[in-house]
Amino acid sequence: MKLSRRSFIKLVGATGAGLSLTQLGFNVQPIEAASNECRIHSAKEYTSICNFCSCGCGMICHVKDGKLINLEGDPDHIINEGALCSKGASQYQVPYASHRGTTPLYRAPGSDRWEEIDWDTAINKIAQKMKDTRDENWIAEETVGGQTYKVNRTDAIGFLGGAQINNEECYLFTKMARGMGACFLEHQARV
Amino acid sequence: MKNAKCFLIEGSNCAENHPMSMKWITQAKDNGAVVIHVDPRYTRTSQIADIYVRIRPGTDIAFLNGVAKYLIDNKLYDEYFVLNQTNALYLVDEDFGFADGVFSGYNAADRKYDNSSWSYALDGNRKPRVAESIDDPRCVMARTREFLKRYDLKTVSDITGASEDQIKLVAETMAKNRPGTCMYALGMTQHTVGLQNIRGFGLVQLLLGNIGRPGSGINALRGEPNVQGSTDMACLFGYLPGYLAPPNHNVADLDTWTSSTGTFRLTFLINLLKTWYGEHATPENEYCFNWLPKKNGTVDYSIFSMFESAITEQKLKVLYCVGQNPLVTQPNLNVVFDGLKNMEMVIVQDPFLTETACFWERPGTDASTIDTEVIYLPAAAFLEREGTLSNSGRLVQWRYTGITPPGIAKPDLEIIDLIFRKVRDLYAGSTAAKDVPLLNITWDYPNEDNPTFAEAVLKELNGYNLVTGELNKGIGELKADGTTSAGNWLYAGVYANGVNLSKRKDNQTDPSGLGIYPGFAWSWPGNMQVLYNRASCDLEGRPYDEENKLIWWDEAQGKWVGYDTPDVPNAAHGPDTPNGQKPFRMSGEGVGRLLALKYQDFEPDAVLPRDTSSVPADGPIPEFYEPVESPVSNILHPAVHYNPCTVYPRKGMEEYQPIGTVDEYPYVLMTSSLAEHWCAGSVTRNMTWLNEMYPEPIIEMPVTLAERLGVKNGEQVKVWSARGEMKVKAHVTNRMQTMIIHGQEVDVVWMPYNWGFKGLSTGPSTNYLTIDAGDPNTRIQETKACLINICKV
Repeated sequence: MKLSRRSFIKLVGATGAGLSLTQLGFNVQPIEAASNECRIHSAKEYTSICNFCSCGCGMICHVKDGKLINLEGDPDHIINEGALCSKGASQYQVPYASHRGTTPLYRAPGSDRWEEIDWDTAINKIAQKMKDTRDENWIAEETVGGQTYKVNRTDAIGFLGGAQINNEECYLFTKMARGMGACFLEHQARV
Repeated sequence: MKNAKCFLIEGSNCAENHPMSMKWITQAKDNGAVVIHVDPRYTRTSQIADIYVRIRPGTDIAFLNGVAKYLIDNKLYDEYFVLNQTNALYLVDEDFGFADGVFSGYNAADRKYDNSSWSYALDGNRKPRVAESIDDPRCVMARTREFLKRYDLKTVSDITGASEDQIKLVAETMAKNRPGTCMYALGMTQHTVGLQNIRGFGLVQLLLGNIGRPGSGINALRGEPNVQGSTDMACLFGYLPGYLAPPNHNVADLDTWTSSTGTFRLTFLINLLKTWYGEHATPENEYCFNWLPKKNGTVDYSIFSMFESAITEQKLKVLYCVGQNPLVTQPNLNVVFDGLKNMEMVIVQDPFLTETACFWERPGTDASTIDTEVIYLPAAAFLEREGTLSNSGRLVQWRYTGITPPGIAKPDLEIIDLIFRKVRDLYAGSTAAKDVPLLNITWDYPNEDNPTFAEAVLKELNGYNLVTGELNKGIGELKADGTTSAGNWLYAGVYANGVNLSKRKDNQTDPSGLGIYPGFAWSWPGNMQVLYNRASCDLEGRPYDEENKLIWWDEAQGKWVGYDTPDVPNAAHGPDTPNGQKPFRMSGEGVGRLLALKYQDFEPDAVLPRDTSSVPADGPIPEFYEPVESPVSNILHPAVHYNPCTVYPRKGMEEYQPIGTVDEYPYVLMTSSLAEHWCAGSVTRNMTWLNEMYPEPIIEMPVTLAERLGVKNGEQVKVWSARGEMKVKAHVTNRMQTMIIHGQEVDVVWMPYNWGFKGLSTGPSTNYLTIDAGDPNTRIQETKACLINICKV
């Protein structure tokens, strides 16, 4: 019987439902005692994929009372088989890092400071500026080499980024950019 | 990778920058594989290598061409593979040639090629004429051999600094230990000859038949977690999702588009247009093709041009930047800084406040002189949001979430959605022609049928049968008549039968024993793990290596079968059909290309091509050129020093883009990331654990150079280039060595580039020194080789 570490733990966990573990050759009591002491005991678990290089290593995250309390390499993942590198392991620090941004900020022209703003203000400012810029810099037609072509675009709004966000986010970013008529659309693939 | 018998790691320090790849390299090594590391710097990767070869930065083409020539001269190549599965026997156009450092058709005035002579001699059916033997001087193999004549061991050794014995040893080791794989990273791409560097791998691997088999191929170790996915999704000016060409100004209709891209890809474009423009997209209006914005085909839209055009013509006025920090990662940061300064609004969406968001706070800046409005949007980090990402092997994996972002930060998906909906609200009711595409592009997430935002988008990528309403099961179901949709054809099948296959976790089932695991997540296209796996079989469809077979033709079943999804145009088309003989089906020819010549593949009597092969801007085969800033002259052709298609400085940027010369800047600088810090450092420099391990930037220099400069380990030095200067600590080490090139001493030094003025750990940004001259194909800069000077402080 081939068992992965996690399916083993799941099976062990099922002993509460009254299954016998003698077939595995284990003494049940010490295992239960150990799991009681374990810091991830009764924590909610979810999996993610590392956010540094592109190996795509699996991670297990443990959450208790809404807080991430543990992060480790996923032993059942075909790429990293439980291991994480120095950068990957440090991701445990990301959610509660001291310098995380927690609110939208605005820096006015000429100012030397940020001011906190709410989401509505931020989104309204951005959308209005994008609309105004698009309207003022719309190129319906242009002449290239003596010929006039219909081109329907704006070169005044640029979209930058993608390698740090998920596929669905990248796709919507692209769709938004093209939908607005932008051709300046780039990301880290060109670094 | 564990199946490889030989690794050629060149331009990558995977032990530090892709540590988990090293797990599989060492496993292969335990099974007897030989590891070769080619790099100017002796790194942790070199330490596990059996063969380490030090070459000068920017000389990879000379090295690889030297290996290729040695393989050909000594008949060490895979003759069956080369004759049958590459274009070796195809006849080349008589006007094609190479002389005095340039290929035929070069126009020195605009530094571009007219590539009309880079083609085959075609027969009456528009197919390449085929030579009877490899000795025919007109065939691709003969022309390749003739081209490589100049890359003898002595010349290559003179250029690269590697010894003749080392070059021989690498070629012989690769030939003896097959299958072998090439692994590379930014060490190969960040050059003005970046694309041709990779073509160099292609040439060697085609000669050795090292494609499509387990443990073979060319592996790009990509630098960002989802840079594969973001490229697939086309956050790039030169693509639409799925690597489809966006129209230029002069592409007025679908026929014009198809005449340069082919009917094969037209199907996928129609599926994209149906996805974006829904019921408005009809055959009569060419599926709203003209709703797509058309870029000016004579203008550069790359990230370089974003900042440069803001300086030279105030063109770009608003920049929306998501999870990227160009004020650390771009070369020649003076350009980025002044570009940002000239914009009207800069929006930065990131989990951390980055240097780009705070550019007006840069030390030494008077913020009152900067009129740019800046908005920072706090984004959720990856553990706080869900969705898929695609790794370097095209494995599409689902990320769950279980925690909320800090404060009122939001997932990127929601922020993008909020902005786009608000922009649309502002346009509500407009009937102006320019606003019609904006108001009518489909945008309805989440919705009743798809309550989860990310899954709603993933389903759109997978696409639907618009007649039955069912999700597509694969690319084969996509039609060119508007009855199917797919936001990205490559992802068709990720949601087959209504199941999100990216969530699968079967790590037990591997019928091949090769590590394929078909039930673990999902790979594009069609859950295929090894691209070009048809090349692992001979003409009859029998695996070259029966013990490690991936796919094969099953005569009894009348189809291609195997442990992996067969990479064939149609699984039922056997080896006795043209489709059964396309080991490289994504090229127009269907075979591997030693020379990447122009070719359009036509079905009999068709007006429009089926497919078109791509041709590099700077030649059909890699030629060695020096870096733009180089310490020595080009001994192959002194008059053509660097890539003849690279334009530098660029128009209007002369003041920002000087070229440093060896008399003032005698040392070669290369840069990279670390095991502890990564890219802009926006994340890693905010992690206390990592800062403790690697607290500040340094410069690594050879002991011999340090002695000449009077610098001891740990002392401060001033480092400067034609573009900028900074002070850092010297790390004096044997990892770097003074090299002898054309009989003269050349010193190479190295710096990490991951620091800036924001975050917990701050330090000078190395990219104020680096050069932004670019590859004419990719535009990617030459951060792996520029000239600097150093002195003790």
